[in-house]
Amino acid sequence: MAARRQVLLLGGGVLATLGLPQLLRAAPVETIEMKGTARGEHVWFAPVGLAVPVGTTVRFVNRDPGNSHTATAYHPEVFDRARRIPKGAAPWDSDFLLPGESFEVMLSAPGVYDYYCIPHEMAGMVGRIVVGQPGEPGWQGPVPVTEDLDPAALAAFPQVDEILARGRVVKG
Amino acid sequence: MKSALLFAAAALTFSASSVLAHDEEALKEAPPGAPFIQVSDALPLPEFIPGLGTLFVDPATLPAGPFLAYDHDGKLSATVYMTPLEELQNGTSYDGLGVGSHTVSSADVYYNAGHPGVDTPHAHVVLFHDEDAKSRLAE
Repeated sequence: MAARRQVLLLGGGVLATLGLPQLLRAAPVETIEMKGTARGEHVWFAPVGLAVPVGTTVRFVNRDPGNSHTATAYHPEVFDRARRIPKGAAPWDSDFLLPGESFEVMLSAPGVYDYYCIPHEMAGMVGRIVVGQPGEPGWQGPVPVTEDLDPAALAAFPQVDEILARGRVVKG
Repeated sequence: MKSALLFAAAALTFSASSVLAHDEEALKEAPPGAPFIQVSDALPLPEFIPGLGTLFVDPATLPAGPFLAYDHDGKLSATVYMTPLEELQNGTSYDGLGVGSHTVSSADVYYNAGHPGVDTPHAHVVLFHDEDAKSRLAE
């Protein structure tokens, strides 16, 4: 027993010094890149559709060397937009990210999250994240079309079924 | 092309525009001085934008510009205009725009989906002021 306790203590010490960061990193993290062509003719999130488990941290990274981008949730608390994320979810706004900069948000409510890039929404730079699976407690599906939504943005959202089937949806 | 630009320059009004028309020396090297401001100081954009270089603009002339584009050594390399497509479609015209230099070796016109400062789809009109300018602004 003493030996076992010692091992447990040792184990705890190892966890405290080495293992804890690994445990923290065990929480799922997914990356969504902000991209654009050299002259800025086209801009997009990659992937544009992503399925993740509840509790995933999503990291947005600007990989566009010539432009800045935002990842901004559709929500009344953020620029007074109609809500397009689950009702209980916390909204976010990355603010402008210069090339190489990143922003993280953890998604803990199951359902469909729609977000956009502030200067590029009219160019259809939007994305959709599906957190968890339909049928999970608290699940909220996609919000119906709202009047403040730009047609280019509306056309760019991948279908939830497609995201769930493929896991990641990347444009052309 | 060159004479047309000279004509456009001559048609400019006073203040910043008169500098563009008559005092090229003042604009040759960055920074060009008032009323121009460095775009990256006022907007969340990279200091050097690949393809456009380091941009300066008189805020009063937004969105069309002219934007003065400098290379990494601070040499004026291009004059850039940004014209929102929807405004053009609605009948807005951008006439008598200034030029950074009376010498133009070539011009590029292309579509841009938007960026801070001109956040609607627009055209970039880029007048390069010497034959190597494009390569110096590339990256």
